[in-house]
Amino acid sequence: MKHLTIILGVLLTLGVSAQTADEILDLVDKNMSSDNRIIESTMIIHGKRVSRTITLKSWSVGNEQAFTEYLSPAREQGTKMLKIENQLWIYSPSTDRTIQIAGHMLRQSVMGSDLSYEDMMEDRELKEVYNAEVIDEETVDERNTWVLELTAKVADVAYYSRKTWIDQERFVPLREELYAKSGQLLKRTDLKDVKQIQGRWFPMKMVFKDMLKDGDGTEYLITSIQFNQQIPEYIFTKAALKQ
Amino acid sequence: MKLALKLAYKNLIGAGLRTWLNVIVLSFSFVLIIAAKGILVGWDRQAKLDMTNWEIGGGQYWNINYDPYDAFTLEDAHAPVPSQLGADIEAGDMIPVLIAQGTIYPEGRMQSILLKGIDPDQTILELPTRKLDTLVGATPVIIGSNMARANKLEVGDYVTIRWRDANGTFDATDICITEIFSTNVPTVDLAQVWLPMDSLQSMLLLSGEATLLTFRDREKPRDEIANWKLMSYKALVQDIEEMIKTKSVGQSIFYTILLLLALLAIFDTQVLSIFRRQKEIGTYVALGYTRREVVGLFTIEGGMHAVLAAVVGALYGIPLLIWFARTGITLGVTSADYGFAIADTMYPVYSGTLVIGTTLVVLLTTTIVSYWPSRKIARMNPTEALRGRLQ
Amino acid sequence: MIRFLLKGLIRDRSRSLLPMIIVAIGVMLTVFVRGYINGIMVDMIEQTARFSTGHVKVMTRAYEENMDQVPNDLAMLEISALTGDLRQSFPDIEWVSRIKFGGLIDVPDENGETRSQGPAMGIGLDLLSDHSEESERLNLDKSLIRGSLPETSGEVLLSEDFSQKLEVDPGEVITLIGSTMNGGMAIYNFTVSGTVRFGNTGMDRGTVIADLHDVQRALDMDDAAGEIIGFFSSGFYDDEIADPVITRFEAQYHDEEDEYAPVMVRLRDQEGLSLYVDMTNFMGTIIILVFMVAMSLVLWNAGLLGGLRRYGEIGIRLAIGEEKGHVYRSMINESIIVGVAGTIIGTACGLGLSWLMQTHGLDISEFTKNATTGIMMPNIVRARITPPDFFIGFIPGVLSTLAGTMLSGIGIYKRKTAQLFKELEA
Repeated sequence: MKHLTIILGVLLTLGVSAQTADEILDLVDKNMSSDNRIIESTMIIHGKRVSRTITLKSWSVGNEQAFTEYLSPAREQGTKMLKIENQLWIYSPSTDRTIQIAGHMLRQSVMGSDLSYEDMMEDRELKEVYNAEVIDEETVDERNTWVLELTAKVADVAYYSRKTWIDQERFVPLREELYAKSGQLLKRTDLKDVKQIQGRWFPMKMVFKDMLKDGDGTEYLITSIQFNQQIPEYIFTKAALKQ
Repeated sequence: MKLALKLAYKNLIGAGLRTWLNVIVLSFSFVLIIAAKGILVGWDRQAKLDMTNWEIGGGQYWNINYDPYDAFTLEDAHAPVPSQLGADIEAGDMIPVLIAQGTIYPEGRMQSILLKGIDPDQTILELPTRKLDTLVGATPVIIGSNMARANKLEVGDYVTIRWRDANGTFDATDICITEIFSTNVPTVDLAQVWLPMDSLQSMLLLSGEATLLTFRDREKPRDEIANWKLMSYKALVQDIEEMIKTKSVGQSIFYTILLLLALLAIFDTQVLSIFRRQKEIGTYVALGYTRREVVGLFTIEGGMHAVLAAVVGALYGIPLLIWFARTGITLGVTSADYGFAIADTMYPVYSGTLVIGTTLVVLLTTTIVSYWPSRKIARMNPTEALRGRLQ
Repeated sequence: MIRFLLKGLIRDRSRSLLPMIIVAIGVMLTVFVRGYINGIMVDMIEQTARFSTGHVKVMTRAYEENMDQVPNDLAMLEISALTGDLRQSFPDIEWVSRIKFGGLIDVPDENGETRSQGPAMGIGLDLLSDHSEESERLNLDKSLIRGSLPETSGEVLLSEDFSQKLEVDPGEVITLIGSTMNGGMAIYNFTVSGTVRFGNTGMDRGTVIADLHDVQRALDMDDAAGEIIGFFSSGFYDDEIADPVITRFEAQYHDEEDEYAPVMVRLRDQEGLSLYVDMTNFMGTIIILVFMVAMSLVLWNAGLLGGLRRYGEIGIRLAIGEEKGHVYRSMINESIIVGVAGTIIGTACGLGLSWLMQTHGLDISEFTKNATTGIMMPNIVRARITPPDFFIGFIPGVLSTLAGTMLSGIGIYKRKTAQLFKELEA
């Protein structure tokens, strides 16, 4: 009986690790994703010489549609960005121009941050793109995590593999690393300050860092987040940019 | 005529120092014109030769999307090497080059660069591509000295590069610098890294593809190939030609003045000898020379300055110019220190056309200048002249 | 004695005028050629100076280290104060601020949405101030292909090829998308006032020239600039002017700790120009030397001819009893007077010509048929006057004339009084 328990226990544990990498992602998704969300946030970009703080308000539906408005600083206030699937437009009120950011421009960094437009544009779910596997358990910020390794199963991805550390209890990623095909670490994101909002656990602070480059990276702080709100359809049209 | 030449020669030599001063000045013009033109021709040839040897060979085929001035086009500027060129490539008379954008991270800084793939065994370009066969713990690459200096890289250094393959997937690897070459052609040096073709093709997932093809033979007629742009040698060196043309005009003003100066001296000499030798002129006429013949005599005498100048110029000019062409004009600096498209040593090139042309021009202008004051003889009264009366 | 000689020279024009004209022409050519050679030899250097390096350039140390990446995030701040200081410390140098930048030029359709787009390099320089010489410096006027130069704030020039690629004409609006000094996104509208040609394929493909203040506004670089460029008042680069300026500047601003402290770099140390500066000096010296020798020989010859011309006159003077030594000395004195007068006139004319060619330049575009003029390839040849031009003419002008006279004058001593009358009778 005792043996059985042990064997069962081992089997269960193994079972959990082996079979649930996808399930873990599902749980994470369930926790983190929503039909839509409205976020107010602050982005702090640590430059070589000065740090810049930008505040943003964004509306998004799933991964396909997003609309972002810059609230400050004064210079960028009123600048809007619209993303529909893989297209991106920027509207600047001072010039009254709607500019399509296409092709090569998407690979440029956003506002001097460690993120490229493309990084923000990725709209496929991780599960569609990657095979996931639990490879380890580690402690991050005093929380037990599963370490998941994600390896691309399709060709057209920016990052061939990722590692993510998922809180075993709250199903929130606490750290993410992006790797080149050669296995070289390219970028790291630390997700901190996990809070419960509308019954979900959500990291309110993220720090992005380009690992090949010196510098202190980019901080992203969420000041408020609301899930599953009523968002009018027109907000995701080019016409809304000019308003 | 023979007599006229003989007379002219005797008269000139008889004038001694005066003649030689004129001849020396005129010979300066000779030598300088040839030297100056030679330097420009040498420069032009060398600049083109450098481009030929380092970059363009006998001409290139460019992928239809390739634009060397817009790095963004590179993403689409590649295609499988056209099959009809297989034979040329097989024979080593054509090399495919693949170009992609990348980023290099020396010491935590980042810089956008071009990654260029080339066959290590190629013999068309002077790039030390054999060093791409070096066995090291990372992808072997060669870079130019200016690239090396700008990024503080040395042979044996390892550094990370990042790029995106054909699918847009990020990839990064370490490269090892196996050779640093110095060249006068910045377009194969600045902000770029040369890798083995096979490595780059597999890094980019573009097996068998190329951005451009450089061929060896300039003269061989080439076919137009669909989706490839044939860039003739002439089209590729056009910028150099325009620059040299501008320089040559600026230069020619200078030696025109020098020639003018020599001609001024000859003119002065002619005026004086006609003034002083009226009796002689009268005698010629009395002896039955027509005035035109006398004018001819004096013109030949003046023009002979040019012949003597050619001889004198040749005496010191030929050794000097040959020495110039052998050693070049070196400035005691190595090109590795400079990011400039000119060589540290310029070798003048003198063509037969240049030498003959210059001789003809000098001879002609000298003759004209000699003829001008001689016309006065035609208006002389021979009896008065014979008596030495000033007219 | 001198009075007597002068009278003779003035009254007998054949004795004075022709030799003097020859000396003057010779000296004029010498002076002019020197100025001209100096001019064309430094032209390529000055071209680079005008367009990018200046004679000296001030930037932050961090900017200098990454100069080829145009790192405006490392630009200098509070440049009006700095420029003020520089103007006070170095009043002989003209200081101008410039910003180089990169970005995307976007052309709108009728709805204000993207119609065409292309990457561009940009230069911001002072085009609109009354006293600014920048547009002249870059030869913008001559390089204009269509439209006109910017006259009001917000107007820019595009390279002609670029404007064709973007299909945009003068008068139309374009938008610059770049990054601000702080890394933010810069979006700014300009009106194309005209198009220019650079004469350098790379620059012709995508360059925009804008007024400095517009660029400062566009890139959020209020009172900031990447580079402050200094031009010497002589208009030409010279190590001997640059070095003390740099030493004084270092003493005032050097700060090992501060990455953003201003540093000054001279032209020679930029863009590999050192080689060219050396070569220019070397070649220029050789050419001028050869020319001086040639000129001296010509004037020497003229001196000899002068002696011959006056064969008869000297005969008479000897015949009526003038001492040979006296004749010889008076000939020499005369030649000095002629030489000095000719040299002064020649130097004046030569300097005048050089000055004309220095200020206005000679347009050689007619000789280079296909190549139209461009910013990077000015078809204007300019002379350059340097201090030695004021006295260099005396070497051929006075010394050579004198040498010629002295040599030909030796003949005087060979003449025999007994034969003089025979010669005169003839």
